[in-house]
Amino acid sequence: MATETALGASVGTTRETSGFRHWSALRNAAILLVAWEVLGRFKLVAGGALPAPTEVLIRFWSDRGDYPAHILATFQGASLGFLIGNGLAILAGILFAVSPVAARLGRGLNVAIFALPPIAISPILVLTFSGMTPRVVLAALGCYFVTMSATVTGISQTDRRMLDVVRAYGGGRLALLRLVEIRAALPAILAGLRVAAPAAVLGSILAEFGGGGRFGLGAYLIGSLGRADPARLWGIGLAATAMALIAYGIFALIEARLTRSTRAVTVAATPPGIRSEGSWLSTIAITLASITLPFLVWWLLLKVLGTPAMIAKTPAGVFDYLFLAPSATSAQTRLLAALGQTLPMTLIGMAAGLAFAFLLALASVVRPGIVRSFMPVALVTQTMPLVALTPLLVLLLGRGPSVILWITISVTFFPAFVTLAQGLGMVSRGALDVVRAYGASPFTQLRLVSIPASLPYLFAAMRLAVPRALLGVMIAEWLATGTGLGNLLNQSRGYLDYGMIWTVAVVSVLISVLFYQIVIVIERHVLRKRGMQPAV
Amino acid sequence: MHLSLNRRHFMGLMGAAATMPMMGRMASAATPFNFQASWINDAEFAGYFLAADKGYYKEAGLELEYLSGGPDVIPESSIIAGKADLTLTTPDTTIKAIVEQGAPFKIIGAQYQKNPIGIVSLAKNPIKEPKDLIGKTLAVPPVNVISVEAMLKISGVDRAQVNIVPYAYDPTPLIKGEIDASVDFTTNVPFTIKQAGEEATSFLLYDFGFTIFNDTVVVTEETLKAKRKEIVAFLKASRKGWDENLADPTAYPKTFADTWFKGTGRSLENEVYFNTAQKPLIENAKGVFSMSEEAIAANIEALAAVGITAKRDHFDTTVLEEV
Repeated sequence: MATETALGASVGTTRETSGFRHWSALRNAAILLVAWEVLGRFKLVAGGALPAPTEVLIRFWSDRGDYPAHILATFQGASLGFLIGNGLAILAGILFAVSPVAARLGRGLNVAIFALPPIAISPILVLTFSGMTPRVVLAALGCYFVTMSATVTGISQTDRRMLDVVRAYGGGRLALLRLVEIRAALPAILAGLRVAAPAAVLGSILAEFGGGGRFGLGAYLIGSLGRADPARLWGIGLAATAMALIAYGIFALIEARLTRSTRAVTVAATPPGIRSEGSWLSTIAITLASITLPFLVWWLLLKVLGTPAMIAKTPAGVFDYLFLAPSATSAQTRLLAALGQTLPMTLIGMAAGLAFAFLLALASVVRPGIVRSFMPVALVTQTMPLVALTPLLVLLLGRGPSVILWITISVTFFPAFVTLAQGLGMVSRGALDVVRAYGASPFTQLRLVSIPASLPYLFAAMRLAVPRALLGVMIAEWLATGTGLGNLLNQSRGYLDYGMIWTVAVVSVLISVLFYQIVIVIERHVLRKRGMQPAV
Repeated sequence: MHLSLNRRHFMGLMGAAATMPMMGRMASAATPFNFQASWINDAEFAGYFLAADKGYYKEAGLELEYLSGGPDVIPESSIIAGKADLTLTTPDTTIKAIVEQGAPFKIIGAQYQKNPIGIVSLAKNPIKEPKDLIGKTLAVPPVNVISVEAMLKISGVDRAQVNIVPYAYDPTPLIKGEIDASVDFTTNVPFTIKQAGEEATSFLLYDFGFTIFNDTVVVTEETLKAKRKEIVAFLKASRKGWDENLADPTAYPKTFADTWFKGTGRSLENEVYFNTAQKPLIENAKGVFSMSEEAIAANIEALAAVGITAKRDHFDTTVLEEV
């Protein structure tokens, strides 16, 4: 009994909304707030670097004149990016769903976009574009993958019988799309938009850090860093969080209105499914083309924009910088040294993030109440700009491996947790009943049934965790430790070392894609052995 | 005379004007001129704000577009990309880019005769000279690491004996004692620390051998050729703004509160403190922005200590002679 209700609540699909549950959620939130207030008031955490909620509120009130312009600017960047990114994503999703060849060709580009670490491409966007454009582009990129995959999934799950009806009356490809597929995909697309909305807000804020504009919550945060005023920073961070949550809530509402169905909050981390069709020769050709496409797009974009070659490095420019130029040896040495610091931490961080997500998902089965009250804190960690928390983090954790590890866990665990919890929730009731009938404890149920059965979701969670782990490590290196790729990127910006800025961006994307592909290979192997299908 | 232009003719004329820049400039009353600042809008740029508010750029025939900077904005990138005609930089990074990447930059002036960057620490745990840093943790913005390494080397302090960590421009870790000192503008941070109830002590890197300018006025060689007249006009108007602002550093910041400073999240008192503290670093007997031969030589010498081979040729003093 406890199992399914707990999971329902933790993954966001409410199956039971009794008054008691509302009360216990409120009670937990109140306990949390009071504890935070006490910790803040009496300066119990990091010598007062954690402000009490009332201090944050008071500060927010006295700063109220500043906020409207900043919120408006962030809203503009985020909403424009949201429109453009999702428009393209839905079109691309339809194209990929309709044409398997296009899906296979686009695979490289899709994975590359999924794996782009915002921290690495934000400086490049700022170099290449001006004004609001970097914000819009980063917001759009944040939306694209989620909505594109949701569209593909939605269309490919259309009821075959409906398609047959339209076909029987002589409906062509367009009629199928218009009358059946897009309508059938609507709930999935709306679920995608819901997850994309906060991503657009965060994308805009991230680009504001480096964009040099005067307005926007990101710009406000940067301007306020020098004031040593944690209450202000928390106020800005919470304003950003509120924006993201409101955006999420609006689309959740629209979705509920339009579709009146409950759906999982997660969205696939796999690009559209590829069924190998045709000869191995055409398979190789398409795979090669799919790998080349991202590089081609990169090159074409720079040509079209006409950005000077000194700032904007083409693929050839990066190759030249890294292998042919007189400074190539020095560049290689610095890059390898940085990778030597970043890669091990990425692997450890990813493992730790996944382990934490896994434990949390298990706990949500065994001890649902505790996990539920932890969720508000977890949500805030997902939307709070980390730069606002840096002083707190370094005061609590120092500037060694532990701060990298914790930042990486906080960046990694949430999507992985949601996916895992969903997987545990989908375990067949019948299989559980068998062991329960033999008197198995919750732990034995987990060990014998739930964990093995949710293996596909574990791999889906790993795929989600890969690029985020690298992102987390780079953020920590940039803000706290001054090591590895994150620091190399930051320093290269200061030294106008454009070649290195591009190299770090490219290398970080390649690493993410490589890890992602490794996970997919292992996943296929393991699941095939067990006769399972990958979770989408 | 009545001129009627349809859209196509108008575009054609615009095209012709673009191919003949001299004509275009003579014809129009104010020439667009884009200025990329090196930081968010604070007192560091008070002189330019004043000149803009009082219409000095307009009088000089310029339509000024002011682009704010920030921690992640690379000012030099704006002039390479053609977003800006003129910018303010730190000379070490600019000259490094000229020497190592062949960037076509010319330094034509310097706002700060003495670089305001220094080592800031708490009075209760004071760092009064480079030697005090031995065994201590120093937070340095990644951009300034070379400057700090130069100062340590010049002062005979082993780099390995100082624990250098990234500085994200938030003084909280310093106030809470997580780090012993940070590298920041001494014209600004001591005020913030005082606000937080602590007393700060600081020294300039400049006073310990790292004798460089800051906010050096930089243009590309191409712009210098094509827009020399406008550059001279900009410097002239800006100097006028600075002179007036520095005459009484407390007078003008308040006039920017609801315009230039709006939304930066900094207090007016902070800007007045900054404006007052920067006065001796900017003032110059030969006029704001001037670069004396001795000062240029001192820059070249200091940069040599970090392995940046600056040349006299990277500085161009002839533009200011026309101001």
